[in-house]
Amino acid sequence: MMKLEAIIQPSRFESVKDALREIGIEGMTVTEVRGHGRQKGHTEVYRGREYTVDLLPKMKLEMVLPDALVSRVVDTILKTAKTGKIGDGKIFLSRVEEAIRIRNEERGENAL
Amino acid sequence: MTTAARPGFNPGIPPVKNMQGPPTPLSVLGPQAEAERQRIRQQFEAGTSARETLRALCELADRNVQRVFGELLHVHESTPQGLALLALGGYGRQMLFPYSDLDILFLFGSEKAEQESRRLIAEFSRTLWDLGFRVSSAGRTLEECKRIEEDNAEFHLALLDRRFLAGDAALYDKLDTKLLPASEKQARGFLLAELHRLTKERLTRYGNTIFHLEPNVKESPGGMRDYQATVWLRQIVEEKKESRKITAAEEELSAAAVDFLGAIRCFLHYKNGRNDNTLTYELQAAAAERALGVGDGLARTPAEWMRLYFRQARTLNRQLLRYLEQKAPVPLTLRQRLFHAARAAKLEADHGKYCMEREGLLEVLDPPALADRAITFSLFGEAARTGTPLSREAERSIGYILTHPELRARNTEMSWATLREILGSDFPGVALRPMQRLGLLTETLPEFGMIDSLVVRDFYHRYTVDEHTLRTIEHLQELADPPDARGAHFAPLWKTVDRRDLLILSLLLHDVGKGMPIENHVTGSLTALGSAARRLKLSPEEEAEVRFLIEHHLDMSATIQRRDIFDPATVSVFAESVGTQERLQRLCLLTYADIHSVNPEALTPWKAEMLWQLFVATSNHFSRTLDRDRLHAPDEVPMLERVKALAGEATLEEIERFLEGFPRRYLAVHSAAEIAAHFALYQKLGAEPVQTELIVTRHAFSLTLLTADRPALFATISGVLAGWGMNIIKADAFANAAGVVLDTFHFADLHRTLELNPGEIERFRKSLADVVNGKAALEPLLKGREKASRARTPKVAVETRITFDDSSSAHSTLMEIVTQDHPGLLYEIGSALARLGCNIEVALIDTEGQKAIDVFYLTAQGKKLSPQKQELLREVLQGTLS
Repeated sequence: MMKLEAIIQPSRFESVKDALREIGIEGMTVTEVRGHGRQKGHTEVYRGREYTVDLLPKMKLEMVLPDALVSRVVDTILKTAKTGKIGDGKIFLSRVEEAIRIRNEERGENAL
Repeated sequence: MTTAARPGFNPGIPPVKNMQGPPTPLSVLGPQAEAERQRIRQQFEAGTSARETLRALCELADRNVQRVFGELLHVHESTPQGLALLALGGYGRQMLFPYSDLDILFLFGSEKAEQESRRLIAEFSRTLWDLGFRVSSAGRTLEECKRIEEDNAEFHLALLDRRFLAGDAALYDKLDTKLLPASEKQARGFLLAELHRLTKERLTRYGNTIFHLEPNVKESPGGMRDYQATVWLRQIVEEKKESRKITAAEEELSAAAVDFLGAIRCFLHYKNGRNDNTLTYELQAAAAERALGVGDGLARTPAEWMRLYFRQARTLNRQLLRYLEQKAPVPLTLRQRLFHAARAAKLEADHGKYCMEREGLLEVLDPPALADRAITFSLFGEAARTGTPLSREAERSIGYILTHPELRARNTEMSWATLREILGSDFPGVALRPMQRLGLLTETLPEFGMIDSLVVRDFYHRYTVDEHTLRTIEHLQELADPPDARGAHFAPLWKTVDRRDLLILSLLLHDVGKGMPIENHVTGSLTALGSAARRLKLSPEEEAEVRFLIEHHLDMSATIQRRDIFDPATVSVFAESVGTQERLQRLCLLTYADIHSVNPEALTPWKAEMLWQLFVATSNHFSRTLDRDRLHAPDEVPMLERVKALAGEATLEEIERFLEGFPRRYLAVHSAAEIAAHFALYQKLGAEPVQTELIVTRHAFSLTLLTADRPALFATISGVLAGWGMNIIKADAFANAAGVVLDTFHFADLHRTLELNPGEIERFRKSLADVVNGKAALEPLLKGREKASRARTPKVAVETRITFDDSSSAHSTLMEIVTQDHPGLLYEIGSALARLGCNIEVALIDTEGQKAIDVFYLTAQGKKLSPQKQELLREVLQGTLS
């Protein structure tokens, strides 16, 4: 099992969610986050006051996937989240030791 | 103090005497109790009332408690001397729901009795537990019951519902008739304050509203706990004020509500198999199907049945709030009293005849006068203006008049002028909330009735549609003093928004379509607007504005979620769909309020920031692209025709000539009627080279001036206004292709010169025309005025900031000045610009409190300003303004 964390543009979130649903991924955890990588923020002035947007809004998707699905999900996110501009985000993958469904204590991929 | 004569439930179960004889084995008692429980459940499901069901459950519990206690005494060869069993809380008041705990107090005559009873009590609790009763027990000696446990008000409140179950009756009698009445009298203040605190905490936990999509029928506002808290309040405060006694009709309503909610709570316990009181969507459907609590057996839709629920919940909640507010007030602190006294002083004298402010609430002094509905409406107007809510007693008086047609109410129709006074105030929600409770909102705006108590199922919204709507308005009025950081950015928008009345009307109608059997609720809401606009006689421009806001109420939300708001193309497209800065401000506030009112967590700081970023980007887009988009009059056929229809004999060509070359904003911010009026002034320019029109608006004056462009014109007009002591709040300066300048100034008459001396208006206009025409000098007007205004110390220091932008406009240099506002400021800026040979192509002048925010599109000799000129201008203005 792999844990996938994807940081994407908020504007791409709906498309990514729909595309993932089409390939059978229903479950995910979504968080509104702020941050920046190479895409730095900018300063906006409104009525004489400066507003520095140095941490840009992003969406963070987290899901744990059976090994067999990982590459498909990664491809789908790449395809739908990419705009080609700086700030499109990143995908992180890490190995998961165990998953347990609290309701019936199922374990492993059955719990996903 | 006794619990016997309580309204609602009074089954009057006689206590069973202690039993003697051999102990009955659990294997016999357990199945007996269970069989009895099943029988009670079956009878409830067959249609027995909640009242009967609760009585049966209580009798079952009493029988088992008394039997087990009696048999254990026998087994332990003990006597009940010095030990009594009391039922407390819900069990004490004989409202025992299927899976509720049995609250039992073991009362000991002495500490010795307590020591000796320990084993018996442990065995007693265990046995009842094994019989399927959840016992929640406490033990106190007689002495301990006298003492007030300040950290355990719940115990003392539960004790108000005490009922003798078994044991030493004399001991109970001593507690009930001697000890407790004395200590309760002493602790009355403490109990009241604690009950107020606990109740307010509970109501706040549930958002202070009964209108939850999935309410908790015990704890939510309007639930059974409201009823109980009301009963406790009545018990604690003896009713001496006859006039405020609950009426028989109200008593009946309350009993019906308790029956209805009692039935639901029984139903929920049985369906859930535990003490779970949440009325979920699924169980709403099941309850509606069997017409639970209604009695006629006719199945209803869940939405219809929930409306019945909310009606009953409203009865219980209203009664509790009235008691909290008026029957058992907690003494106010000195600070609160001073605050209310200051607020009361704000009330206008002429309203004193019908109402007064008492401890922060509007009270009606002359209830019969309310038969004149105009007075009732003015009360709501007062509430909206000052933010002082009507007292529950005042609401009750209005409600009485409304439900007694024989009192022949007069002036029953609320005009748009009256309604917009309420909607445009600082605190519209303070009036609209009671108007809705009393049915007056639906009377004025019948379309709103379609969403009355309407449950629309989704997992995002938490409240009924009408509650969501009223919350949007309350969230906006909170921006006067934002309760948290999410509102900080939006507070200045609320304070300065133009046509607040139209924004609030849009909010009232934006979700009305959800009450219609159509797929897209926005379409329904627009249909509702059509009928409301006809009835209220909204002008076409007003209707169009509300239409826009309703039609696009989801646009900003969708844009921040689905578009890259940092992409200038997104901002440009969005700005084009919105059109003007004023409309953007309204739409932004509407979006803020709409998201905020979905549920308490919906407007995350993240979303609030995104919304703000989109607003700022779009607002800047407007001010930076103003002269990019100029009117080519022949393309504006519909507008031309509308203006022509209003402009008498004029030809289309003449109107086209007038409009040609104005910035597009001119069309966006002026109605056809206003443009026709401007055109009429334009036609008179031949006879008189300076044409002016002065209109008195609600809080200020609006001056329109048309003339041929000339050097220092803007500075001259600003100078005349400053010379007359007028403070410019807002201004637009536009020029058409033929060099005709149309300036609009909104100004406040600081010294009330024009307001108090109407004769001065003509002299003011003449003075203006004379100075602009060069027939009179400006300097004498300004003399003296400057000194007086400069002497005032500003409340807030605003640092002067001047920025230039050469990239946004193809023809002009944009200059934005943010500085401390003061009378004569525009004259100072305009004069400096004129001295340095700068021509104002477009100007947008605005103020926000003591901050002036002015944007000028400048040229010098028909070109953008050179960098040297910009630097010089900055230096001169910094020197002038600092």
